Amino acid sequence: MLELRGFACGYGLIRAVDGLDLTAPEGMITALLGPNGAGKTSTIMAIAGQVQAQAGSVRFAGADLAGLGPAARTRLGIALAPEGRRIFPDLTVGENLLVGGYTRSSAESRATEESVLALFPRLRDRHRQRAGTLSGGEQQMLAIGRALMAGPRLLMVDELSLGLMPAMVDQCFGALLDLRRRGIAILLVEQNTHRALEVADHVTVLVSGRKAYEADGAQARQDPALVDSFLGMKEPA
Amino acid sequence: MFYLELLLVGLVWGCTYAMMALGLTLVYGLLRILHVAQATVFTLGAYVGLLVANHTGSLAGAFVAAALAAGLLGPLVYRFIYRPILDKPPFVALVASIGLLIAMEDGFRLLFGPYGLSFAKNTWFTTAVGFGGLSLNLVQVWIAVAAVVLLSLFALFATRTRAGVAWRATVSDPSIAESFGVGVSGVRHTSFFIASVLAGVAGVLVGLLNNLVEPGMGSVISYKGLAIIVLGGLGNVPGTLLASLLLGVVESFGTVYLGKLLDRDAIAFLFLILVLMIRPQGLLGKAR
Repeated sequence: MLELRGFACGYGLIRAVDGLDLTAPEGMITALLGPNGAGKTSTIMAIAGQVQAQAGSVRFAGADLAGLGPAARTRLGIALAPEGRRIFPDLTVGENLLVGGYTRSSAESRATEESVLALFPRLRDRHRQRAGTLSGGEQQMLAIGRALMAGPRLLMVDELSLGLMPAMVDQCFGALLDLRRRGIAILLVEQNTHRALEVADHVTVLVSGRKAYEADGAQARQDPALVDSFLGMKEPA
Repeated sequence: MFYLELLLVGLVWGCTYAMMALGLTLVYGLLRILHVAQATVFTLGAYVGLLVANHTGSLAGAFVAAALAAGLLGPLVYRFIYRPILDKPPFVALVASIGLLIAMEDGFRLLFGPYGLSFAKNTWFTTAVGFGGLSLNLVQVWIAVAAVVLLSLFALFATRTRAGVAWRATVSDPSIAESFGVGVSGVRHTSFFIASVLAGVAGVLVGLLNNLVEPGMGSVISYKGLAIIVLGGLGNVPGTLLASLLLGVVESFGTVYLGKLLDRDAIAFLFLILVLMIRPQGLLGKAR
């Protein structure tokens, strides 16, 4: 579904990520892990069109994304639950979802909203409440729900577990598993390696903007080299 | 009874401020620009309304023409004055805005003369309306009605329509809203349109209230509007409305009790300065 080749991105002259190959196939959870500042968020923001890619190619469902803005990428089927969630705090839960489905007809939006509310029943209870008054976990559900409203084939979630209570993290990960069953490609950025490994079908570790480790999920779950890649004991390949 | 009447008169003034300040706070919330040139939209509305009223005798026509002219000018100001300099620091837009205001004011002076014009037939001005012992003129009643109707329409737009919700999302987080397909350029033009229609209608109403339309009529109300949006907590719509009404009432009582010492505008600004010294974050703003 998503394919990065020799990808580089950054800000001005600074390269945040360099020479990255990455794929996120449909019906799978691809985890992008790594320490703080490794370039995970930059990668995701570049795929979403919010950060300029500097080299390499990003292809989605066979199409080259070069030159497409964020809204065009959303229309193609790429949706983002960004770092820090960035829900609209002064809008109600329902209004946040409405904006998520802004590219689609109101009939499509209504059907999708029903499935989002079925996935996150708490959002149904809070539907008319200001989003800024939600708990962190509910806000994360809303951020994911808002992204789903766009009808994505690729869902990118940045720091799903950050600052959430464990019960909420369980619910959000449960939702990802549900979405995987529906055939959506999921690209997950996490600092909580342990939780990400539990669900990941494929794992890539970034250290200082370069790929330091890569394995399928089952292998990564028992591989001591994964830990080493984080501690920097193994040189990036 | 006397106090109640002062209160009513103050609220009516407050309504004119609200119609001006709402637009200023919309523009500020969206673009972080202090849109001083809103005053020129207000004055244009007043002149267009007066000319149409005096030529056709129709006040309804005057309001429609003023709303259209103002609603056209505002987005043009955004398109040709602000948009080219959006990536510059905020004071650049402020200077451009003040420059436009001065140029337009002198433009009005050249076109219509320096002394101002009056409505040929201003029946609203001369018609008194009594409410159980209270007396207002018909202009004041219409100001209150117009403010309530227009601000309610705005509230309906902002909360009940897709475009309105998208507009609020854009104010909150432009890049995320845009990534979900909200057209930010359309949102900005819409904001200027709404702000300008309100200002244009307010211009005609204030022109009727004073039975005078003159080139500099927008300046004072626009400066008050800027102070009001600070007082309301920048970009905060309910705070702006509250601050507008409060200022109107303070002015109304102030002119009676302090009128010998200070004129009305001086009282208004003194009050604004005092309140901002005590609550620099604004009435409904959160402490930083």
